[in-house]
Amino acid sequence: MNGLHELTALDAAAKVRSGEVTAQALAEAALARVAAVDGRVNAFTEVTRERALAEAAAVDAARAAGRTLPLLAGVPYAVKNLFDIEGLTTLAGSKINRDLPPASADCTLVGQMKAAGAVLVGALNMDEYAFGFTTENTHYGPCRNPHDLTRIAGGSSGGSAAAVAAGMVPLTLGTDTNGSIRVPASLCGVFGIKPTYGRLSRKGSYPFTGSFDHVGPFARSARDLAAAYDALQCIDQGDPAQSAREVEPTSGTLAKGVDGLRIAIAGDYFESHATPAALQARDIVAAALGASRRVTLPQAQLARGAAFMITAVEGSQLHLPDLRTRPDDFDPLIRDRFIANALAPAAWYMQAQRFRRWFHDQVMHVFETVDIVIAPATPTHATPIGAPAFELNGAQVPARPSMGLLTQPLSFIGLPIVAVPVPQPGLLPIGVQVIARPWHEADALRVAAWLEARGVAQSPVVNPV
Amino acid sequence: MTTDQMSAYIAAAAAAIDLPIAPEHMPGVLENFERLAGIAAQVDAFPLAPENEPAPVWRP
Repeated sequence: MNGLHELTALDAAAKVRSGEVTAQALAEAALARVAAVDGRVNAFTEVTRERALAEAAAVDAARAAGRTLPLLAGVPYAVKNLFDIEGLTTLAGSKINRDLPPASADCTLVGQMKAAGAVLVGALNMDEYAFGFTTENTHYGPCRNPHDLTRIAGGSSGGSAAAVAAGMVPLTLGTDTNGSIRVPASLCGVFGIKPTYGRLSRKGSYPFTGSFDHVGPFARSARDLAAAYDALQCIDQGDPAQSAREVEPTSGTLAKGVDGLRIAIAGDYFESHATPAALQARDIVAAALGASRRVTLPQAQLARGAAFMITAVEGSQLHLPDLRTRPDDFDPLIRDRFIANALAPAAWYMQAQRFRRWFHDQVMHVFETVDIVIAPATPTHATPIGAPAFELNGAQVPARPSMGLLTQPLSFIGLPIVAVPVPQPGLLPIGVQVIARPWHEADALRVAAWLEARGVAQSPVVNPV
Repeated sequence: MTTDQMSAYIAAAAAAIDLPIAPEHMPGVLENFERLAGIAAQVDAFPLAPENEPAPVWRP
């Protein structure tokens, strides 16, 4: 059967349940698609063929036995290579981690996907240790944007976004510390959700910056995104930052649309750090939603700076033993930053952590009168691979740190955000952040689904040529 | 901090945490530390009240 790789996750699962398609056929179609296009994209660092076929066979056997199939039965997916996969070494984009033994068990989220019937196809490219916004990985090669193979996919979950955009799998998992789900989702034109800090379990994922590390899915439809997010929710004592909140499914709320939601535009910093193309994407969304009120998230520039500082200190301290003994085994694109960051005085770090409290309290005041705030997800579209800088307001800014200018202040305080793809004819993709108050993922997903239903947000499969 | 002060700080702080820095890495380290110091200066200039406690919460 042709076109299996273009099915949404929920449509694929429905066909498996009805018997129209087997899970094995879906797995083989995904593996064939990876074989056909990933030589150009470089999204995968490992293909788990045997596991995929075994998990698919288990789904088909369950159906044959008359058992009720779970929500994502037979749906192929893949994960950023910092998630533990039993039997594989968790690379986290590094050369150094190749020395580690294979993971003895799946991470919590892979376990959740397996319980939901999904079929693991492989592990995905990323910036080394998640420290970057471009997935220009020196060890494993750059992940290329399926929309233009000369350009970055964004990062650090670049493989996760590119694999979905190119139709290799309908769902992937990634992580977002400062924008690493939202940036590649924006540049590759797919949906991604960074849930509230503490909502999904990070157990068994390789850490970067404990204060801001989040995990979440990518998809080509808002319904798929909500379904994956729902499947991933559980209560897990294994993640010390995870909330003890009950599971709160969202899929059933999508039909509510946007009625009753007060929606505003993030002004000031979120406009002055965006190119006209990014603001145009935001304006398309704002016009569709009838949103015209502007709100200010005060001192957003300092929020970005404080997030930068906390990331610098926590991220580098984690790798101090290897920085001491084998600095040349780090990706040269990040090694000197890691070393410099390891030397920051404690006073800088503590001021940033205290500022985080202040900023959180200010933004919570803003959310007393609005439910949703929208902002561009990236300052610009995908830049050429290797480009050191891009133009922003007439100035050249360093490309690698600056792609996260609009995401960093928000993950800093753990807000739930859906990045929605907003196609513009003739232009490369740029996404828009749909930002909700803490624990209100459902509101952001409702907006994403509403925009998709009206054709404002779309993520068709791209054929990378 | 002047560039000389920064270089001296980098050398002293690296010694304090037993982090050798190869000479060929120093220019990149200095450049990145200057960027970090610039960001720190902005954040540090913001007045905070005693009740602005650090965000992490320990849940024993």
